Amino acid sequence: MNRFVPGIFTTLVLTLLVLLGGCGTPAKPGTPRIAVVISTLNNPWFIVLGNAAKEYGTRLGYDVVMFDSQNDPAKEAAHFDNLIASGYAAVLFNPTDADGSIANVRRAKKAGIPVFCMDREINATDAAVSQILSDNYSGCVSLGQYFVKQVGESGKFVELLGLVGDNNTWNRSKGFHSVVDRYPGLKMVAQQSADFDRAKALEVMEAILQGNPTIDAVFCGNDAMAMGAYQALVAAGKDKQVKVFGFDGADDVVKLIAEGKIVATGMQFPKLMARTAAESADKYLKGERNLPQKTPVAVELVHQTNVNKYGDYGRKEEK
Amino acid sequence: VTRGRRQFIIGVTVAAATAALLYFLPLFHVVPLNQAGQPMASTAFDAVKFVDCFWSERLIPGAAQAVDAAQLVAAVQQDPKVARRSYGRSVGLGAVYFYLVAGTGRVVSAKKRAVGLSLTDGNTHVQVWLETDKIFGNAVRDGTGLLNVNDIPNSQDFNAVSSEINRRIEVQVLPALQKSASVGAKVRFVGCAEIADEETDLHPLRIVPFIVEAP
Repeated sequence: MNRFVPGIFTTLVLTLLVLLGGCGTPAKPGTPRIAVVISTLNNPWFIVLGNAAKEYGTRLGYDVVMFDSQNDPAKEAAHFDNLIASGYAAVLFNPTDADGSIANVRRAKKAGIPVFCMDREINATDAAVSQILSDNYSGCVSLGQYFVKQVGESGKFVELLGLVGDNNTWNRSKGFHSVVDRYPGLKMVAQQSADFDRAKALEVMEAILQGNPTIDAVFCGNDAMAMGAYQALVAAGKDKQVKVFGFDGADDVVKLIAEGKIVATGMQFPKLMARTAAESADKYLKGERNLPQKTPVAVELVHQTNVNKYGDYGRKEEK
Repeated sequence: VTRGRRQFIIGVTVAAATAALLYFLPLFHVVPLNQAGQPMASTAFDAVKFVDCFWSERLIPGAAQAVDAAQLVAAVQQDPKVARRSYGRSVGLGAVYFYLVAGTGRVVSAKKRAVGLSLTDGNTHVQVWLETDKIFGNAVRDGTGLLNVNDIPNSQDFNAVSSEINRRIEVQVLPALQKSASVGAKVRFVGCAEIADEETDLHPLRIVPFIVEAP
């Protein structure tokens, strides 16, 4: 029996350490805490968004704790239960679902905790204090125009969509289609969701290529899917023939654009959005009430000619 | 009636009742992917009606605020930051600036997608292109400073405003420009320009016109 005691003790200590680790650094007495709730940390772009929010919040003098919703609305709701009960001062929030996340924001608001949305919109304008959002639609209009310039006014293409419940998926798709649909010679031979996921995009693209071996281009609703699609094209020996377009401005895609392997992407600015959200929260907590409900952040087209100006999830001169 | 036949009749009745129930109260709906999960479009907002009113009551009267195109190009070349502050507008955060511009020039190039104007007498180089093909983007919606993203609660409605302004320009403004734009003709214009990169977007400046006339 006695030989089990040290093992049980070690297990208990390790469990406590893991649980406490998940709660972040213990708050200094009197220092207000800000929660950063991110839809998923299984995507490098969102890691950058979350880390930047944490960094800017810390610089402004707050104790910042990050929560990963793992693209699961139930986990997100549990995080909100936790942060409401724990008395956080504000939430920098990247929602999992434009409709499903509204209730969480309203609960926080009712508890007197202001919420600031980053990158992803919720379908309500009276819940969050402000929403700092990428102008996905306009970014994809620019991308669509560049697509026509590069592919031509006729050809066959594939579209990989993101999560179908996310507004960004449709704002991107609609912006892109507002351009390409006006060229009758451009035919979309397949449109499938790959959930913004690289591995899924690889799988979906492989299946699409079997039925459509002669496509000219693929438009992907984010860069993780562009990487997956490109990987599938390389495996099929079609990477030189098919033009790949992404969206996000992820570092690996920007590098492939510089190497001429991917044609273009839309640069979003996760660090800028995180900084603006953190600064808005700080202003609000200090009494400022005149904050705009929505602040769109312009998306910039990145292609081979201007790629040298971009990197590290933004414009190089902004670093 | 035999027992087997009775069971058969009961089975058919239950199946028919279940089928009728499922028909009226289906467990799920099959919808095309492009409709799945899309947020409900705003039913209250009518972009055509909104733009109709905006066009006559605000856009056309607001044209008087336009900066001279040649003056803008000179200002941007001299100091882009000062030019942005003095004449530019941006929506939210970003490096893209929109400008409301006007001018009179002589046609020196008439292409399928744009008409090239020289703004100074004796110059044969294109100094501005007036777009004459399909119009995309938000140059006119955002270039005048008359519309704010927070005036319209739904971002999709705000995008619909842009599409409708562009459609209206294509239908009402561009045909007249295409018709009158022979080389040597004089054209007066008011429109909006988008500058994302001062190094490339000034050579020449591309303008989406919403007023075009022969002076």
